Amino acid sequence: MKRLLVILLGVLLIMPLATSAFGAGGDGPPKDIMKGIFTSVDAANRTAAFIKEGNTGAMTLTLGADMNVDAVVLDKKVMVSLDSHAGEGVLKDISVMFMDMTAGKVIALIVVGLIGGLLSGFIGSGGAFVLTPAMMSLGVPGAVAVASNMCHKFPKAMVGTYKRFKYGQVDLKLAAVMSATAIVGVQIGIKIQKFILNSWGNAGSNLYVSVIFVLVLVLVGFYVMLDAIKLAKGDTNAEAKTGKLALRMQKIQLPPMIHFKVAKVTISAWVTVPVGLATGMLAATIAVGGFVGVPGMIYVIGASAVVASATELGIAFVMGAWGSFQWGLSGLIDIRLTLLILSASLIGVQLGALGTTYVKDYMIKLVMASVMLVVAVSRGAKIPGYLADLGWRAQLDAGPAALLESVSFWALVAALAIAGVITSVAMAVGMMKDKQQKRMEAAVSHG
Amino acid sequence: MAETLSSFDKHMTAVAFAEAGEHETAKKVLETKSAPAPLKAQHHAKKPVLATLVFGALSLSAYFYLFSHEEWTTDHFTRGGWYTVLPLASAVFFSFIHGAFGSNLLSVLGLEAKK
Repeated sequence: MKRLLVILLGVLLIMPLATSAFGAGGDGPPKDIMKGIFTSVDAANRTAAFIKEGNTGAMTLTLGADMNVDAVVLDKKVMVSLDSHAGEGVLKDISVMFMDMTAGKVIALIVVGLIGGLLSGFIGSGGAFVLTPAMMSLGVPGAVAVASNMCHKFPKAMVGTYKRFKYGQVDLKLAAVMSATAIVGVQIGIKIQKFILNSWGNAGSNLYVSVIFVLVLVLVGFYVMLDAIKLAKGDTNAEAKTGKLALRMQKIQLPPMIHFKVAKVTISAWVTVPVGLATGMLAATIAVGGFVGVPGMIYVIGASAVVASATELGIAFVMGAWGSFQWGLSGLIDIRLTLLILSASLIGVQLGALGTTYVKDYMIKLVMASVMLVVAVSRGAKIPGYLADLGWRAQLDAGPAALLESVSFWALVAALAIAGVITSVAMAVGMMKDKQQKRMEAAVSHG
Repeated sequence: MAETLSSFDKHMTAVAFAEAGEHETAKKVLETKSAPAPLKAQHHAKKPVLATLVFGALSLSAYFYLFSHEEWTTDHFTRGGWYTVLPLASAVFFSFIHGAFGSNLLSVLGLEAKK
């Protein structure tokens, strides 16, 4: 217990250092990127009055040569990028931070929430890897999508942690130790996100989130696909092979050594540090920390899959609550998005959980891998456009730009369709077969 | 009421397991019977229709209130600082109320796990 306190104190002392290291110039936007509100526009002179966030007086900004007067949105929080090469106060880009809610977008968010929840309950993953890209495809800036998604996730994680704690599966000590470093990871991840957002605007933030998504989804997607194929063939050797790394890690005698009672592991606290940091950073970047956290606890620390997934819920709650708090401080949580997604995902997740009782295990992993890889294609198709917006590559011609936009949109629709249709059909078929079987059994027992 | 809350508890527990990929355990949880209702309540209908309606009405009212004040909500919930409490508390509140509605709705619709 004393060692645990020393570790926690140490982490709490490191946190201010870590935050201040990224703090210089990272909190306030540089002069080329500004947040604020447009109050009026002069179409004839191509100028607009802009009140920067935190100021009371308006400044006059000039529309860049490539910009349309219609791009100026009045009385809404926006993020603007200035073209310093074109002169003082010349606009390059305007992004609305919190989009208008049309009936179509409301319906789309509810459908996305339902399918995200269905996936979450069905495949055992947060569904965030569908929710965040789907929100971005609807026009939500990357940082706002991640922030709103995180805010929707942490209450569910709180309930889930409590439920699994009652079953004796949550290793509280492991959750506490991992949470301490995960919080630092979340802090670092958010600082990086804010730095990118403030330096390169929404385009930079979208690019960063999309690149990380593509990397993670491709790696994890292929791994899960291979796992699904092995499951279908009945191969159980994989677990034996990966246990060796954890055994090697447990042999490292670097104090402080901590015994985790529920996980049945004694290991150096320093081994948990990179796993916790990586979990937090990924959660802060794409709102999904479990892709690193659960495999990390299983293959690096040596906890069982049951304890790892249960303990991860506790870490997810702490990270989610802390991360949401940080995003909230920056005013980036769009509660409308959070609540619209929540309205359907809370029902979808329960449906998905029921559905798992009607399908074979490898089918679940097959659906997960397929959806991940298709979403990776959807996000990947947007990257050239983000690079062009940042001026890091030539602007795309109209034809290829439209094609990539279509590929991105329809790939996401395909991913949602795979998730929604296949899981629904599998559940419906399973339920019908089950009812038929019960009718036959009843007929036999009465006959 | 006891049976309704027990059904909600059972569903949320199963969801917690299913979300983590523990499908077998989720299945077992859903297969366990909810705590029996007290003798005096047993003559009432087993499906939690009243609870569904109550939680549904609460949830709908809360959503309607928030979205009918959309501009005020978006402005205040994104001000940062102490206003951070608003989105976080809202997320927790809606999760409990709407989660209870969802769980009871599935019970009323007869969508059950395979037994």
